[in-house]
Amino acid sequence: MITTTSLTKTYSSGAKAVHALNGIDLDIGMGMFGLLGPNGAGKTTLMRILAGIVNASGGSVHIAGHDVTTEAGKQAVKAMLGYLPQELGMYPELTAAQFVDYMAILKGLDDAKKRRQSVAKVLELVGLSEAAGRKIKGFSGGMKRRVGIAQALVNDPKLLIVDEPTAGLDPEERIRFRNLLVNLASDRTVLLSTHIVEDIGQTCRDVAVLARGQVLFRGSPTELTQAAAGHVWTLTAAGLEKPNHGLTIVSMLHLAEGTQYRLVGETADGHPAAQAVPPGLEDGYVWLMKSAGQSVEAL
Amino acid sequence: MKHTSLRYSLLTYKLDQLWFPVCFWALFVIIVVLMQQQHNQLMNSTRAYLGAVVPLIGGIMAAYAVLDDPALELRFATPIPAWWTLLERLGLTFLIQAATACAFQVVALLLGGDFSMFLSGWHVQLAWILPTLALMALGSLGALVAAQTTIGALFVGLVWIVELIARGWLARNNGKYVLVFMGALMPEHPDLLANHLTLVAISAAFLLAAWALLRRQERYI
Repeated sequence: MITTTSLTKTYSSGAKAVHALNGIDLDIGMGMFGLLGPNGAGKTTLMRILAGIVNASGGSVHIAGHDVTTEAGKQAVKAMLGYLPQELGMYPELTAAQFVDYMAILKGLDDAKKRRQSVAKVLELVGLSEAAGRKIKGFSGGMKRRVGIAQALVNDPKLLIVDEPTAGLDPEERIRFRNLLVNLASDRTVLLSTHIVEDIGQTCRDVAVLARGQVLFRGSPTELTQAAAGHVWTLTAAGLEKPNHGLTIVSMLHLAEGTQYRLVGETADGHPAAQAVPPGLEDGYVWLMKSAGQSVEAL
Repeated sequence: MKHTSLRYSLLTYKLDQLWFPVCFWALFVIIVVLMQQQHNQLMNSTRAYLGAVVPLIGGIMAAYAVLDDPALELRFATPIPAWWTLLERLGLTFLIQAATACAFQVVALLLGGDFSMFLSGWHVQLAWILPTLALMALGSLGALVAAQTTIGALFVGLVWIVELIARGWLARNNGKYVLVFMGALMPEHPDLLANHLTLVAISAAFLLAAWALLRRQERYI
């Protein structure tokens, strides 16, 4: 479905050039594909290039056989695209149904009857049928996101690109949203970009990790998890001093006997009391970032 | 493929952008009602409204018409060509100006206004259409060049005020070709046709440049 070869994107910032993407090679097929990485990794830039909104500086992008670096290719891809951007802007005075209907018109759905059916169908799919006649300005963040996914789906896209869709959602909304995306991925390509590791682990069988505009990892969530095998420990310490010796603290838990740390690093030789534990996906991600010399503060 | 809906274009238009021209229209209606006994003042105000105020408002609104859109990134992800977006947004802005200009002419006629200083009824219409198009094209281009709506509005305001202050000097020199107020304020000027043609050419060039800029969507998200 999607093939990128040596894809680069450079922004000029005054006299300085910022390399947002540095030679991205990806092959993405049907189903759910996760794009993981810290803030500023280049995920949004890649998404926007795939959506035909941003032009690549170099390399090639082909989606369903269309060359996205050409104007004709962009138009063809946009006709089969559903897109939910990170910063979702809407018209607050429109109702949910009106907004989705307007987006359907912009996407070229000109048959009024079919359009009304599509609007009703996608609003039902995202659980907003009852709120369809309410103005968007009265919606919660989660409801707005659902309107966002409804407008993305209204043209029954073959490619669905969602950028940080669960940011700002409460746990219940996040679970609902993840399940919805998984369902949608059964007969199309869904590209999910996020910096929330848990979202990827719960939904994707194929994942790429981006950092500094490069692909650091490509494989399954299980493979990413296993990359940290032998590099994860727990340590319970009574004192206030945090464990160091080159270890990254993934999590902390205050217990009666002290603080329990979950640590990722090359070796725990400096902490004899540390106990090796099986890695989780988040550990795999932290280990990958650490190995690549990336900051893990974004986690 | 249908890519627009007048109903939604109006619904997504910000209310202040509709109130803005309506308020100026109402203000000038009050002025001409108060001046209906003084024929010269009535027609001077009418010509000022049609030839200067309508184009100014059109130019400022055009600066905001394309980029002041909360769902711009979503719109960019649809297969709408840039020229269609420009046409839809500027077309609606122009329609609003046309409605206020025509309604004002009706009011002026009802109050006894005499448009005989213009060569024809067609010249009355050109007196607001051409400067409105020119300042709208300038406003949209300015906003797209700077990727900021305010800059486009400032361009329009700057050109408008400079031309208004220097209109006499411009009319006597080569500036007469780009004097946007000539059709309304100097309808008997011998170079009126050349002025009109120049304004059409400038508007077309600005709109083409605006179209070319709008195709580079990444500048605006």
